[in-house]
Amino acid sequence: MGKNKKKGQSEYFFDYSLLFIVLFLLVFGLVMLYSTSSYEAAQKYGSSTFYLVKQIKATVLGLVGMFIIAHIPYHFWEKFYGLGYIVSAVLLLLIIPFGYKSGGAKRWFRIGGLSIQPAEIAKICMILFCAVMICKMGKKVRDFKGFLLLMAMPLPIVLMVWKITSNLSSAIIIMGIVFIMVFVASPDYKKFVVITVGGLAGVAAIVVAIAGMASNEGMHYRFKRVLAWLHPEDYVSDTGYQTLQALYAIGSGGVWGKGLGQSMQKLGFIPEAQNDMIFSIICEELGLFGAIAIIALFVMLIWRLMVIANNAPDLFGALLVVGVMAHMALQVILNIAVVTATIPNTGISLPFISYGGTAVLFQLAEIGLVLNVARKIPLKEA
Amino acid sequence: MLVDYNKTFHRKKITVTFFVCVAILVFLFGRLVYLMVAKADYYEKKATELHERERSIKAARGKILDCNGTVLADNRTVCTVSVIHNQIEDKEKVIEVLCTELGLSEDYIRKRVEKYSSIERIKSNVDKTIGDRIRNYDLAGVKVDEDYKRYYPYGELGSKVLGFTGGDNQGIIGLEVMYEDYLKGQEGTILTVTDAKGIEVADHGESRIDPIPGGDLHISMDLNIQSYATQLAYQAMENKEADSVSIIVMKVKTGEILAMVNVPEFDPNNPFELTDYALTSISGNDAGLSAEELNLTDKEKQDLLNNMWRNACINDTYEPGSTFKIITAAAGLESGVVTPSSTFSCPGFIVVEDRKIRCHKTTGHGSEDFVHATMNSCNPVFITVGLRMGRDVFYSYFEQFGLLKKTGIDLPGEAATIMHKKDNIGAVELATVSFGQSFQITPIELLVTAASIINDGKRITPHFGVKVTDTQGNVTKEFDYPVQTGIVSEETSAVMREILEKVVSEGGGAKAYIEGVRIGGKTATSQTLPRNSGKYIASFIGFAPANDPEIIAMAIIKHPQGMYYGGQIAAPVVRQLFENILPYLGIMDYNINSVS
Repeated sequence: MGKNKKKGQSEYFFDYSLLFIVLFLLVFGLVMLYSTSSYEAAQKYGSSTFYLVKQIKATVLGLVGMFIIAHIPYHFWEKFYGLGYIVSAVLLLLIIPFGYKSGGAKRWFRIGGLSIQPAEIAKICMILFCAVMICKMGKKVRDFKGFLLLMAMPLPIVLMVWKITSNLSSAIIIMGIVFIMVFVASPDYKKFVVITVGGLAGVAAIVVAIAGMASNEGMHYRFKRVLAWLHPEDYVSDTGYQTLQALYAIGSGGVWGKGLGQSMQKLGFIPEAQNDMIFSIICEELGLFGAIAIIALFVMLIWRLMVIANNAPDLFGALLVVGVMAHMALQVILNIAVVTATIPNTGISLPFISYGGTAVLFQLAEIGLVLNVARKIPLKEA
Repeated sequence: MLVDYNKTFHRKKITVTFFVCVAILVFLFGRLVYLMVAKADYYEKKATELHERERSIKAARGKILDCNGTVLADNRTVCTVSVIHNQIEDKEKVIEVLCTELGLSEDYIRKRVEKYSSIERIKSNVDKTIGDRIRNYDLAGVKVDEDYKRYYPYGELGSKVLGFTGGDNQGIIGLEVMYEDYLKGQEGTILTVTDAKGIEVADHGESRIDPIPGGDLHISMDLNIQSYATQLAYQAMENKEADSVSIIVMKVKTGEILAMVNVPEFDPNNPFELTDYALTSISGNDAGLSAEELNLTDKEKQDLLNNMWRNACINDTYEPGSTFKIITAAAGLESGVVTPSSTFSCPGFIVVEDRKIRCHKTTGHGSEDFVHATMNSCNPVFITVGLRMGRDVFYSYFEQFGLLKKTGIDLPGEAATIMHKKDNIGAVELATVSFGQSFQITPIELLVTAASIINDGKRITPHFGVKVTDTQGNVTKEFDYPVQTGIVSEETSAVMREILEKVVSEGGGAKAYIEGVRIGGKTATSQTLPRNSGKYIASFIGFAPANDPEIIAMAIIKHPQGMYYGGQIAAPVVRQLFENILPYLGIMDYNINSVS
């Protein structure tokens, strides 16, 4: 796209396609965020733009950060891989004494009115850490021992994310990012296919076991969520409520949607719809075609990331981009799967669109990183 | 610096990752298509149910009008006051205003105002002026809905026939319950869209389904006759210190009931308030204590209310006594065991098997033909007629006359005839049945059977309901009622009319005689069980004109003090009634008749 235009000025590539996809998602996200949150915000805080303003601040900050990072050569970061790991671990540990509790879970720090979620920082740090580790290990990655080592190294962080911030979804995403990065770095398929199939079979077995349990008295809340996913209409007053409400929203959108701003479900029926459930409101207001547009944008985003990864000047750059790509893809897939009740409810936000300052800040930082990798693609070779 | 180069397999794997992701997204998109196309209607319906709050609008209940179009049962606008918890802004003000305006205790109102519910009813049937006043305070969260309450402009007139309605305007007794489906109409609804907390969403507006008012029921009752008959009944009850008096006036040829009186009546505008009569009926309450002073249990009170609401003409049975001789005579004539000129001798008693049954005239009537025996209401003669027919013949006439079936009147709770089983009828039972004792029958059953005997053997269905009209006055339903013919032959019917006319003109019913009008009738005096209680029921059935009956009337005086003969106390009631209503109905013209 920008290749020919830029020829005279620079011999390197700047991926305007990616930039515009991200900018479009951000703007679209802000419009939908306002539509979704204004009613609740007005009721709760007396200002319909309460969430919007906070999100715009984080987005602007994120865009600034993105442009700065896009101009820092990505190899600059490779020496910080250990520091990133340690910072992630320390931040997660600091949650225990200093964490701020919201909605039943302790996941945030509050610094001067800003909430920061260490799990989001951990994601970018793990991408960097894994990319560096894979490059350092070289051919050792290819054998089984190397594979196990690579999978084991992020485990402490993953466990901390899961246990300390009781955020299973972020833990799964970090694990998934690492898995995909290792998959890309290894030449073979066998063990990855076996693990994937085995993992899915194991999950299926657990679901069947939970579904077969005679009584749900005193059951762990995650098990209950599985039951609520299987039979949302039996758990209306309980964990199934959100799932069912999201289905009502999606279903009542129909093919053409109710029109922007016309959602009924956002009027408190889906609590905090601007967070993880924003996609259901998009479906309700913009219909199936709105949903297609969003999914298509994300496919384009992932496609651009693939193109950049494939053309990255070196393995480190490629792995960084693969990590970002895995991150984006996993969040999008899991979010839509949760919203459509395809998998049990677990809190996963939709990149660039869901409300959440830390998330958008670090997602933009990741894009900045990718843009810098893209800049290093020599045009002659591309 | 890490400078490993991107290998081909890396590129391949990145591409594989991309396509796996795309494949999963396509699958999820398929899921979305399923949810948003195939299941769209289902979820949309569910979501709409969730968003809409429904408030019902009561339909105006149809009126009940008499045969001249006078409204007997009407609707009055009243208000229902309710609160919507989420919309209340000034809770204390709301409680204070509702307290003072509705006169309810603060605790009661506070409990309802503070209750977390979408809408809470504080009080219904609030007077419209009070409702308007509360509305004028313009308090957030207080809703005043207009509503209808049944109103009976003539108070207790015909209360046991019309019945009354309950808290939801549903018919509880009488015509109100019988014609519920026609009267009630169809409730409308107001649908409002609300958010999760139940707050109305302003820009969605309301959708409204208007209620369909109930149809107006036109009945055959004539307010003038009903009110005159009620007056007569109260007079008789007070003069004779009787427990109750019932009067029925019916058109012989159609079965339309013009009046049905059961005094003491009750006030259908306050149906749950025990009347003084109901209270003094409690044994030991001669002092006339009020319901509160008596400390009645709920069940006691309900029993008293049920008793108060009973329509004795159709809900209760009694031993008819001599009025039943109309049936015995018709059966005897029809079967041929007796003719008007058959002669009998009455020594004052008759021996049936081992029993000696006395005539009311203990010295006996001596020799008499059947016409005079009827005029004298001579028991031994009727026993003889009954015995001559025998059990099987007599019983088959009961069936033929329709005595063993209900009349089918359009009022709820008609009681069935209590008759001996055919196999249990011996000579003694046959003898007592012949003059109207040892079995029980409703007044309406007896009246309808007597009417069919004098009406050329045509048995009509007694009824009130004539037609239903909508609010524009268009007839939406006309009722018709079955008529059974061939109850008795026209000849027998003509003979019966003649004999019964003689009863009034020369016999025991002389007190019902009116100069210039041909009136037929039969008196009765029956002792209530137990036989030695000294309590009687005096009754009289009369019809006019005797040669071609149009109107039949019945008066029953229960437990009169002093003089208790039907001929002495019930016959004059019917005479007074006829004197007034026959000219009114155009059956008798004073000027012409007084000359002839």
